[in-house]
Amino acid sequence: MKAYGIIAATALGALVLAGCGSSASSNNGVSAAAAKCATSIGMEGPLTGPVATLGQEQLHFAELALATDNAANKTHITLVQGDTQLNPAQATTVTQQFTSNSAIVGVVGPAGSQEVEAVGPLFARVDMAFISGSATNATLTQGKYPTFFRVVSKDSVQGPQDANYIISTFHPKALMIVDDQEAYSTGLVSAMAPIFQQAGIKVDHESVSQKVTDFSSIVAKVTSATTVVVLPWQVASNAQQFGRDLAQQHKNAVIFGTDGLFSPGTFTIAGSYVSSFGPDITGIPADSSIVATATAKYGKFGTFGPPVYAATHVLDEAIASVCKAGHVPTRANVIAAVKATNEPTSILGQPISFTSGGDLNNGKFFLFKIDSTGKYNLIPSS
Amino acid sequence: MAFFFQELVNGVTTGALYALVALGFSMVYGVLKLLNFAHGDLYMVGAFVGYFVIQWFGGPAALSIPVPVVLLIMFVLAAVLVGLLGVAIERFAYRPLRDAPRIAPLITAIGISFFLENAALLLFGAQYRVYNTSEFISFSSGIQIGSVSIDAVQIMVLAMGLVLMVGLRLLVSRTKLGKQMRAVASDREAAEMLGINVNFTIAATFFLGSALAGVAGVMAGLLFNQVTNTIGFVAGLKAFTAAVVGGIGSVPGAMLGGLLIGIAESFITGYISSTYTNLLIFGLLIAVMLGRPTGLFGRPQLRKV
Repeated sequence: MKAYGIIAATALGALVLAGCGSSASSNNGVSAAAAKCATSIGMEGPLTGPVATLGQEQLHFAELALATDNAANKTHITLVQGDTQLNPAQATTVTQQFTSNSAIVGVVGPAGSQEVEAVGPLFARVDMAFISGSATNATLTQGKYPTFFRVVSKDSVQGPQDANYIISTFHPKALMIVDDQEAYSTGLVSAMAPIFQQAGIKVDHESVSQKVTDFSSIVAKVTSATTVVVLPWQVASNAQQFGRDLAQQHKNAVIFGTDGLFSPGTFTIAGSYVSSFGPDITGIPADSSIVATATAKYGKFGTFGPPVYAATHVLDEAIASVCKAGHVPTRANVIAAVKATNEPTSILGQPISFTSGGDLNNGKFFLFKIDSTGKYNLIPSS
Repeated sequence: MAFFFQELVNGVTTGALYALVALGFSMVYGVLKLLNFAHGDLYMVGAFVGYFVIQWFGGPAALSIPVPVVLLIMFVLAAVLVGLLGVAIERFAYRPLRDAPRIAPLITAIGISFFLENAALLLFGAQYRVYNTSEFISFSSGIQIGSVSIDAVQIMVLAMGLVLMVGLRLLVSRTKLGKQMRAVASDREAAEMLGINVNFTIAATFFLGSALAGVAGVMAGLLFNQVTNTIGFVAGLKAFTAAVVGGIGSVPGAMLGGLLIGIAESFITGYISSTYTNLLIFGLLIAVMLGRPTGLFGRPQLRKV
């Protein structure tokens, strides 16, 4: 019995000492971590799967921003990749991995609105900021997901803007809208369709998965009265095929695409229009060095990468500001710094600050027309 | 009426592709009772082979040799390489599991499918590769009947599909190899006792089925222009549906099933709405299964008692 008492007393003593030691090292760690500013951020995107082209571009620009910011701020932030495949279930799995990894203090992504809807509650539970560079569904910033931010505008701006442009430019009597069966696409369609109907335009609403590559049957339904075909899609090469099918069947309708179709070199149907949440940064003089670096390292790119650069930069700057203030970059500190973001300019050619719901203040969309050489020309009034 | 014929042409063309892929599915199931879920990915590999042939000869806008020769090389090379890949898959992934419980090769097939898909991602990247068919086969080289357009690629796909299907039917019904394939499909052990080289027959079946998928991949590239590592999934799913509707294991069943699915898709899209296409196609599958559980051409399995 006496022996048990000695063992218990020794164990208790060891625990107390361990506790003291832990506390001491923890205190040292606070200042060390703040001084070194070493932490991790996550990056969620469709790195494989049908829209991997977009995801890879997003990853490249996240890496580029991180390297630039680490050098400029003398931080040691590392990037942890998570492949969501634009699939809400996969995004949930990745988010669970990120939220249970205490080294990760904030996340860039995910790409799709449907993914944000799936992971928003998980991030909210651990008070972790996540900033998307491409999720544009209007409902995401209505308070359901308090830790969500985006550096791009929303569908409720894009849908009406595009619909009104189509009405005023083409004066169509009939048009076709083909959604891609994803939340992004159907959200845009529901913002546009009522405006067309109110204008007395006959709308043929079709729907096709982006895993399908044969559009000949849908194209056969385009009549001579159909002036415009609206494609709120995410796979540019599918729109290119749609355009080829139109030509093959001698149909003259103009294609009006959104975001994902901004892909010079891939979607090149002359006379088509593309509205995009992101600008063409190759036309922004201040971005010339980023454009040169990105092109040299990764080749051609579209409009999906630069907003992710901006999102990563916001997160990097938030972490750096926490460290500069002598604090440890915890999730709580970082989200507070993200909310206070006020960048006078950005890679996107516009200031970045957020509304209380996480929306970009004064966000806008950009409209391009493709000429006969496949070049995208910004329509100045957009 | 023109609309009807345009949709019919579209449907038959797509159906011919489904039929070619479904044939491979059905043949492999016939001899091994294996649902080879990697089959759609062989179609994807074939499409990539065709793409790289175009690039090797200078790209779509500047082919260095005549177009018919390029097309011939594309089809032959895709058939041979994909056929050999199919044989390798059978040899190293399925043969060791031939006597294992049926779930083991099934899971292996799914594994092979993901392996091929991700290997293509690593090798070729995520971006879509584009055939740009119209740059070397003009739309105007087809037929225009009233407002119905049938371009040269569609005509070629239909003709080749027909020739290959008839050729395969003759091979299975009239040649020694065909007899061996039917014998192995009927009773592998009995066929072996009769002196048939079962391993060779199964390998030949994989070669033929995979080669057809490779050819279908090139056809799809020419028709739909784009190739990426994930295109095999939908093609495989549709071909599997076609094979089941036609009666899995039956060569004419796979042909009919493929054409039926292609035409049904086209008419549902044209006359109802593309929104309901998959719903109605798979509804059709369920209806056929309820009415004829063995498919249109399938035979009920005899059970020894």
